Amino acid sequence: MTSPTPLVVLDRVSKRFAGHTAVDELSLSIPTGVVYGLLGPNGAGKTTTIRMIMDILQPDAGAVRLFGQPSGGRAHTERIGYLPEERGLYRKMRVLDVLVFLAEMKGMERRSARDRAAQWLERLGLAQWAQRRIDELSKGMQQKVQFISTVLHDPDLVVLDEPFSGLDPVNTQAMKDVVLDLRRRGKTILFSTHIMEQAEKLCDQLCIIARGRKLVDGALGDIKRTHGGHHLVVGFDGHTGGAAHVFADRALVSKVDNYGQYAELELAADADAQRILAALVESGARLSRFELQEASLHKIFIDLVGPDAAHAEGGRSDA
Amino acid sequence: MRKVWAVVRREFVERVRRRWFWIMALVGPLFFGAVFVLPTVLARGGVRNIAVVDATAGTLGGRITDSLNASHAFEAVRVPAGRGVIDSLTGQVEHQRISGFLILTDAAVDSGRAEYRGSNVSGFGAMRALERVVGEAVSAVRLERAGVDPKVVAEARRPIQLTTHPIGGRSVAGETAAQSFSLAYFMGIILYTAILLYGINVMSSVLEEKTTRIVEVLVSSLRPFELMVGKVLGVGAVSILQFLIWGVGARLLLARRASPVAASDAADEIFQVPHVSGATLAIFMAYFLGGFFLYSAMFAAVGAMSSTEQEARQAQQPVAWLLVLSFISMFALLNDPNSTLAVTLSLVPLSSPIAMPVRWAAGNIPGYEIALSLVILVGSIIGVTWTAARIYRVGILMTGKRPNLRELVRWVRA
Repeated sequence: MTSPTPLVVLDRVSKRFAGHTAVDELSLSIPTGVVYGLLGPNGAGKTTTIRMIMDILQPDAGAVRLFGQPSGGRAHTERIGYLPEERGLYRKMRVLDVLVFLAEMKGMERRSARDRAAQWLERLGLAQWAQRRIDELSKGMQQKVQFISTVLHDPDLVVLDEPFSGLDPVNTQAMKDVVLDLRRRGKTILFSTHIMEQAEKLCDQLCIIARGRKLVDGALGDIKRTHGGHHLVVGFDGHTGGAAHVFADRALVSKVDNYGQYAELELAADADAQRILAALVESGARLSRFELQEASLHKIFIDLVGPDAAHAEGGRSDA
Repeated sequence: MRKVWAVVRREFVERVRRRWFWIMALVGPLFFGAVFVLPTVLARGGVRNIAVVDATAGTLGGRITDSLNASHAFEAVRVPAGRGVIDSLTGQVEHQRISGFLILTDAAVDSGRAEYRGSNVSGFGAMRALERVVGEAVSAVRLERAGVDPKVVAEARRPIQLTTHPIGGRSVAGETAAQSFSLAYFMGIILYTAILLYGINVMSSVLEEKTTRIVEVLVSSLRPFELMVGKVLGVGAVSILQFLIWGVGARLLLARRASPVAASDAADEIFQVPHVSGATLAIFMAYFLGGFFLYSAMFAAVGAMSSTEQEARQAQQPVAWLLVLSFISMFALLNDPNSTLAVTLSLVPLSSPIAMPVRWAAGNIPGYEIALSLVILVGSIIGVTWTAARIYRVGILMTGKRPNLRELVRWVRA
């Protein structure tokens, strides 16, 4: 999960717009080969952060380092794929031409861009549309063309700003497949979202920000453990053995709700559910059920951000 | 650099592929041709059918009728004067069967008076032609009356043609004053139209990338300045191709027009087919490109600071007015190409792209003035492009309210 030089490093990066601070001393570090989620409510500063990584905006303070070098996205553009939050393509251009042009912007040769674009169109079922104009395509097809343009040049880092917004279920699935396929091939994916369920399914690591500040970051599991509390449900098959003894161990269990054949536990801080399982088995209890119930990321998010801030604030679409 | 080239090629290929480009290629020469030929046609107003009411005792009526028919502007019928003739002819004019009628009496020879009544007496060219024909016939009759041999009269009446050559250190732009005037007029119109047209092209291209948000992907791949330069060069290349097409088209059109159909027309003495020298073409292209770069950089900035087509249309007005002003000042230049105003306008960078070629075509200009004007123009292009690029850089990512002047200044300083 970790590598000696993280792929993306933000070092106390700040960005102010007239009258408000969009990003405030944000530091984060994204290792190679992970799916990294940048989570936050609308207006939290996700897009601004991504734009600073992409060199579209310059930070007022702090530094962005990519691929171990003190430079933003433009210097590494051939290694980065970027899907902006608001989608759009040249409406009057032909599909294949758009893809080739955008690949050229990423430093690809025309000919190889053509071949690769044709392969991708084939793969996503758009081959017969290659010579049609963008505005003849349905919205879903245009979205597919835009994914293709993001990954056509086989980037090592893929930056997706709200990739699932506005997608129909079929394209949502296609998008997930693309993300997972990229990860399998060792690519790094940074994506922003305000939909926690998606983040929970896809992210290895994440960072939650609100009002431009970082609330928490790290591996998904760690965050859940430290912030979610750990709920454990235990069911017995007649024999409880020395279970009561195990439950009384405050090093393992901080709270217990024991119904005899069924108990709900809250794990002590730093406690490992595996040790409880081992202790219960050792105590002679026969278990019919042993289930960790993690708090959902959604709940953690609401707890951290606060119910008010979890909703859109200010409505600045570019923040 | 390869990316800039890709931007240039995209702008070029996409534009040339569109139907709009070919419509312009086709309609352009017709439009310019119309602008050029229309004054002539309008002044001529076609062939007029007129009647000549002859109340003279001698041959004057017959002579005038013959001369009118010999000119290509009139078809005349001699009508002997008599009771009710005037009323019946007036009726014919009212029913638009004839354009008008000329009333000739012996007073024409004695006191130089004749009368024309018609539906349209303001056709400048036609009235002048009529006056000339009558005048010539009257003077011939007077001379003959004084005992001059008709052969001598005919000999004396043979017209001369004055060819004018401006004298200067360079080859002459147009061969005659009339040709210089037409050339200057024509170049002014083309420059104005093309700079405006292609400048607005650059603006809408910037706006398209902004509204579709493609610009985010582009700007994360190449510097905004490179993108802007690529765009301006690409559209510029399209304009050069368009000029090539227009050039060929206009040549063909003008070649047709050079036929002697309208040779006797008054308006034709103002608008004559110019001979375009290589030097004139070079000056024209140099100032067109200079003007295009200067104005399209401004149009690019306008596109970048607007969020919608309507906003852009409003915001481009100050830029367009600068151009309109230069265009209007062209008429002052044509009158006196060497006045202080003319010299100033051809040095000031915002007006020089139109003013200098117009002055060049209309008269003689010292070489150092052209050199100075070009140096100022190139310097301004660099300055304006730099400023526009800074507005562009900030503007293309902005959404919402259009910036006011103070904010613009801040963008430039940022």
